[in-house]
Amino acid sequence: MSLLELKNVSKVYGNLRALDSVNLTVEKGEWIAIMGPSGSGKSTMMNIIGCLDTPSSGHVILEGRDITKESNRALTELHRDKIGFVFQQFYLINYLTALENVMVAQYYHSMTDEKEAMAALERVGLKDRAKHLPSQLSGGEQQRVCIARALINSPSLILADEPTGNLDEANENMVIDILKKLHSEGTSLVVVTHDPEVGEVAQRVVKLSHGKIVSDEMNTHS
Amino acid sequence: MRSDRQFFFRQILSSALRRRSRMIIAILAIIVGASILSGLEMIYYDVPRQMSSEFRVYGSNVIFSPSSEMDISEESIREALSLIPQKALEGYTPYRYENTKIHNMPVTLAAVDFDSASRTSPYWHIDGAFPSSDGEVLVGAKVAEELSISVGSLISCEQTLEITEEIDTSKISSYEIYTDPETGEAYADHKLDLKVSGILDTGGSEEEYVYMSYSDASYLTLVDRGYDIVEVSIASTHSELQNILSRINQSALDISAKPVKRVTASEGQVLKKLQALFFIVTVVVLVLTMICVATTMTAVIAERRSEIGLRKVLGASDSQIVTQFMTEGLMLGGLGGILGAILGYFFAQYVSMNVFASSITMRPVVILVTILVSVLITGLASLVPIKNAVKVDPALVLKGE
Amino acid sequence: MFFRMVKGTFVKQWKKMLMLALTIALGASIATAMLSVMLDVGDRINEELKAYGSNIIVVPQSEAVRSKLYDIEGESVETDYLREQRIGELLTIFWANNITDFAPISDTYADFDGSEVKLIGTWYNHHFEFSKKGSVYERDTGIINLRTWWDIVEGQWLDEQSIGSGEYAMVGSLLAREHGIKVGDRISVTTENSSEILTVVGLYDSGDIDDSHIYTTLPVVQRLSNTENLIKKIEVSAITSPTDELAIKAAKNPSLLSGDEYDLWYCTAYVSSICFQIQEAIAEASATAVRQIADSEGKILEKTELLMSLITFMSLVGATLGVSNLVTSSVMERSGEIALLKAVGAQNIQITTLLLTEFLITAVFGALGGYFMGYGFAEIIGRSVFSSSVEMSGMVAFVVTVLIFSITILGSIPAIRIVLKLRPSEVLHGGH
Repeated sequence: MSLLELKNVSKVYGNLRALDSVNLTVEKGEWIAIMGPSGSGKSTMMNIIGCLDTPSSGHVILEGRDITKESNRALTELHRDKIGFVFQQFYLINYLTALENVMVAQYYHSMTDEKEAMAALERVGLKDRAKHLPSQLSGGEQQRVCIARALINSPSLILADEPTGNLDEANENMVIDILKKLHSEGTSLVVVTHDPEVGEVAQRVVKLSHGKIVSDEMNTHS
Repeated sequence: MRSDRQFFFRQILSSALRRRSRMIIAILAIIVGASILSGLEMIYYDVPRQMSSEFRVYGSNVIFSPSSEMDISEESIREALSLIPQKALEGYTPYRYENTKIHNMPVTLAAVDFDSASRTSPYWHIDGAFPSSDGEVLVGAKVAEELSISVGSLISCEQTLEITEEIDTSKISSYEIYTDPETGEAYADHKLDLKVSGILDTGGSEEEYVYMSYSDASYLTLVDRGYDIVEVSIASTHSELQNILSRINQSALDISAKPVKRVTASEGQVLKKLQALFFIVTVVVLVLTMICVATTMTAVIAERRSEIGLRKVLGASDSQIVTQFMTEGLMLGGLGGILGAILGYFFAQYVSMNVFASSITMRPVVILVTILVSVLITGLASLVPIKNAVKVDPALVLKGE
Repeated sequence: MFFRMVKGTFVKQWKKMLMLALTIALGASIATAMLSVMLDVGDRINEELKAYGSNIIVVPQSEAVRSKLYDIEGESVETDYLREQRIGELLTIFWANNITDFAPISDTYADFDGSEVKLIGTWYNHHFEFSKKGSVYERDTGIINLRTWWDIVEGQWLDEQSIGSGEYAMVGSLLAREHGIKVGDRISVTTENSSEILTVVGLYDSGDIDDSHIYTTLPVVQRLSNTENLIKKIEVSAITSPTDELAIKAAKNPSLLSGDEYDLWYCTAYVSSICFQIQEAIAEASATAVRQIADSEGKILEKTELLMSLITFMSLVGATLGVSNLVTSSVMERSGEIALLKAVGAQNIQITTLLLTEFLITAVFGALGGYFMGYGFAEIIGRSVFSSSVEMSGMVAFVVTVLIFSITILGSIPAIRIVLKLRPSEVLHGGH
């Protein structure tokens, strides 16, 4: 069973076909980069994969379950349980510490566990920054907190939207290293990006243009 | 679950402590609203009592007169006064009237205690001074004009007394006794020399009297008796006054207590207007401050829309978000309400001390109502924007900026 | 470009700007309403205090105390009188418009039902016309408004305008009880001069000595006492300013005042200056303040005004904090936008000017709306409490304008400074 299948998925906003009959299968443990210029439908695809939005037509099957017709409430539960999000802007709650920000995800998922949250921060190398507020962290550190938060509930899939978009090179490399590490540990990753460097390290690159998949190839180096 | 409840409050506490500037803005608005509420409420409740006390500048509002032919004894005055709440009694002055002659002109003299008279008749305007000892006299302006008396003049009161057994002639220093040839009754012409310490100017009938101390009057008439009338100043609302009067009239004392209608009726009329004024001012100010609190809360919540979107992405249900933000809002409302109520009390106290020079009554009900109202208003003001923010699609919030 | 950006804010953020304008409007309306009521409350309460009756008595200059004192013993003594035709001079004085009511009064003792009773002749709701030097003065005046505390226990007030100033009477409740007098009865009163048959139109309860008297029309008493066209005194009720140091100084002797002081005193509605002007107009009269009423009015007014001004002050502080609060938070809210402007190279001064322009435009609309709203509130207060509209003064508009503008500027500048201090990168990257 594949982790995620998009079957003939289209999304229409008024006259605009943001996604046009897209078919995509994501296997467990796979690392896919979705690339394309602005307006190619990347964000729409990301919202649909992340169960934040439903397609206008076609089917989305997550772990064998067709979520196309699910209620909003069920969708909330799905993206809470199955998907970890990493955003371009490091959406952290600015009055909570790094540790607490990770714990918020636990809180809404099941139960808070400070040790587990600490372990997640350790995985992204931020153990000693756990008590800092977002404003006291650098951009790269904030993004790593977001990754730790995405990891905390052991999701089936981590969905990252331009995770390096706002970072300098040193931090970008650090984030890429963490993604690599996660991949090697067996986490499934979907990264939406227009950064070729990020695309390069992925297993498989899917290119979008005007709402259609124009290429879908495995990267040779991996 | 225990640790989760802990985490729930940990988040709220963090929000309160680490978003300090925002919290201060919100709580300041609530405190201001709550203190205006409690301050105005207390003033509104206290105004009739305080103002009624001010209205005593119009003079006494109750007159005790004898219910029989007898005069009023000191004991019955004391007993009647004991039926008046101590706090409401602003002052009383017993008067005793006698007819006498000054330089051959008949005048009415009134025996009073000048200290109490200055309290019950604050509008008395005196050229010179109140008599400070026996032997001094206060003369009404009209009497003074008629007799060409000025401050410092010496006058002598002449009294013609019928010599009866009651009168102790040994007290009289200088007198001549003569007998009416027709009736055979004996009379004495008795004199008392007095110094004019002041001229009384009121523009009213008080100017037609001569005022002296009780002991001078007793000496002049050689009779020590009770009082003809007692002027009483009571600070109370109209209905309370009616109650007090009926209590006194029903007691078996030889006193009939009557309101001075000119004073009480007019006062009732003016006080009603004043209270209506403060009521409507309180309501208008309150409504406006509440809207102010509500807009501030709306602004504070609206700011956190992206946080709400993030929480939704992280899997928070709508009710979880509403619960958390409402708890925050209600705690804010409660805290602001408590602080505001206390501040309002001090404000009301300040106003009362400055305007009426008397302290305001602390009303626990007002404090309680203030806290409840602040919690309620803050809650309502938060609920609407929270509900709106929760409805928003998290994808749009996160992508939107 | 500048105005394009300002316009952009209003187009894109109209909701936020509307809310800001609304809050400013609320603040402005509190300020307007409270200030208007505060400035007006003195006059309104003063009118209410007219319930206590006349505060000035005009008597003939040489009237002697003896007459009144002898009244007690029932002797009659020759008294000086004022001429009735001189009453109108009251309406020619500088402060004539402050004289709300007046009534001439004459009295005499007459035989009634075998006992001696005091009769008082006066006006009730008299239509009075007076012409002097080509000007015509008109007033409807009389004792009805000077005896507000009377209760009419039976019948009604003597209505001169419908039944005329003829042989009618109102009888005190005590006297009525003693003699069994009812409304509609015809009572006969006699003096050495004449004898009159009066129709009783009402019984009153005054709560004082008047309860044993008979009130009738002026001509009746004049005939009974053989004093045609003469009156004993005039009761005057005037709206006055509270007594202050100048008034006290002037009351002692107006001629001791300096020229400026004298002018100020003369042109202020002190009870003493009104009395002085009445004496100027009616030279043979002496006008004195009834201190019980005149002095007390001042004290009550002072208290009410102080109370109102403290409450107004509190409301203003509340409104100020509320508005500046929202201005501050709306600046904070836009930190992202401000950082962006800085990132693209805008100078601090440019950003400050932009924001201030936006806020001030909002404030103008808010203040304008608030002023009219506040006017409405003041009107509601005036109508519901005093049944008269509250006078709007230009000063209120001025104060409110200054207040709102300074609140807006003072509320936004600290916030703008805080936001300007932030580094753009922090704001743009540091989470929302």
